[in-house]
Amino acid sequence: MISTHILKGIAATILVLGLSAPARAQSASPPPSQGKVIDQVKKRGKIQVGMASFVPWAMRDKQGGWVGFEIDVAKKLASDLGVELELVPTAWDAIIPSLNASKFDVIIGGLSITPARQESVDFTAPYSRSGVGVTASKKLSSALKWPDDYNKSDVTFTCKRGIAACNEVQKQFPKATLRQFDDAAIAFQEVINGNAHASVASEPAPTFATLQNPEQLFQPTKDYLLNGSEGMALRKGDPDSIVFLDAWIAKANDSGWLKERRDYWFRSRDWASTIP
Amino acid sequence: MTTAAIPHRRPTKPRWRLGKLDIVLALLALAGGIFVTVQVQGVLNYRWDWQVVTTFLVKTDPATGRIVPNLLLEGLFTTLRLAFWGLLLALPIGVVMGAARTSKRLLPRLVSGAYVMLVRNIPPLVFVFIVVFFIGSQILPVLGIGELVSRASPAVKWWLSLLFGQPSLIENFVAGVFCLALFSGAYVAEIVRAGIQSVARSQIEAGQSLGLSRLDVMRFVVMPQALRNVLPPLANQFIQLIKDSSLVSLVSIQELTFMAQDIQVLTHKVFEVLLFTGGVYFTICYGLSLAFGAIERRAAAMRR
Repeated sequence: MISTHILKGIAATILVLGLSAPARAQSASPPPSQGKVIDQVKKRGKIQVGMASFVPWAMRDKQGGWVGFEIDVAKKLASDLGVELELVPTAWDAIIPSLNASKFDVIIGGLSITPARQESVDFTAPYSRSGVGVTASKKLSSALKWPDDYNKSDVTFTCKRGIAACNEVQKQFPKATLRQFDDAAIAFQEVINGNAHASVASEPAPTFATLQNPEQLFQPTKDYLLNGSEGMALRKGDPDSIVFLDAWIAKANDSGWLKERRDYWFRSRDWASTIP
Repeated sequence: MTTAAIPHRRPTKPRWRLGKLDIVLALLALAGGIFVTVQVQGVLNYRWDWQVVTTFLVKTDPATGRIVPNLLLEGLFTTLRLAFWGLLLALPIGVVMGAARTSKRLLPRLVSGAYVMLVRNIPPLVFVFIVVFFIGSQILPVLGIGELVSRASPAVKWWLSLLFGQPSLIENFVAGVFCLALFSGAYVAEIVRAGIQSVARSQIEAGQSLGLSRLDVMRFVVMPQALRNVLPPLANQFIQLIKDSSLVSLVSIQELTFMAQDIQVLTHKVFEVLLFTGGVYFTICYGLSLAFGAIERRAAAMRR
């Protein structure tokens, strides 16, 4: 609990230090540049992508390799750039400080675009859209009416710490208690155990959890609490690279590739057999 | 015949004989265990599936058909590497700083005192973040470790990956090791200081009267006795170091805890993975306890 505050403090400090570095180096790039990061990636022949485990955005298959919607996006970006892809799995709490500390070039990690995050990183245009869904405990919540009955002081929500959905619960259900956990699995488990009324997370995770635990869970609503747009994130002060990535995303959108991948990972469960 | 000569000596018993009380206690423990399990099943709506652990322990390489380590084992290896390098660095840091703490000169005393106070009074989590994001991202890139590693020959790379894990993650790993070693070093320093101060003044005087230099008195007279005296707390601190290594999962060093969390997110099998991880840490730490027990016995035997 203490750690959240401390982490935020540290993240802010690191950010300030991280920001000062690119500002100094800005004048050096040659004229026909596609952006600092993109140039650097091409020169190095390798793109380092920061991401975190998040079903079905990025997850491990039975062989321990990475699969998921985001992994497909990162792979295609790397092959279109003609460079090697290096995935850098990162703790979600530290993903923005890690980007600013140059642990990798870009975040492709299901990071929703928010004004608060925009202060620390630069986002590209959205390459994906998501919605925050909810799943609730049959034992505790089957008598409650969505959404009014959930805004009571004796109702408890759970969520994974640091995701946009947490703030949304506080906004829409100010009277309810919110308990934040380090990972989504434990947040759902608390509801399955009947220790909390409902849990929020980016779809399709709540739907999958409900399907896997039909006796303990149900979905009080299919509507999204919040619609989000995910963008790639770069360190501040690199507008040319943002333009380049925006163009790449626009092309992937127009060709229908992004939609096809999105349908595969979010609307079907064909991939379920490849993961444990 | 010899036993007859000593009438009061009791016949030698096997050391581990099972008595009635042992059986009763074992049964009670078993009943307690079953009771807790049943109670847990009552409150916990959970489908146990231990297959998750075996799936992620080993895998068959599709290319060669051989069995190779999967995520959990790889994480375990990283934890062992962290522990190995952490211990190897923490001991010299601690011995030097501990000796400096007892120095007659002001400067070493101030430096070591500041180091111990700084580290000891910061929460480990904050310390990890500071070291990794400042040392890791401001100093290490300047040293060019990543560059050197990427240019190394395959044979060198093989050794590097054996000693430090995946070559591309070496910078992060080094930052993690530093952080563990610096953190534990402060506690080791205090333990060593206690050890040095436990050595009788007369021993130092005896050394000096033999004409040994100050360094030689430290090396041959004080340190051997001091370290022998502090073996138990030192073992404690090293076991603590291994458990603390789980903290660096927060800065994305892919050790056992980090891998376990990834698998939890993926499979939603929280408890199997947690229990397994706990078991693994217990095994490592218990192994280290046994090793230190043996060292203590040897040290005690050498004293006589």
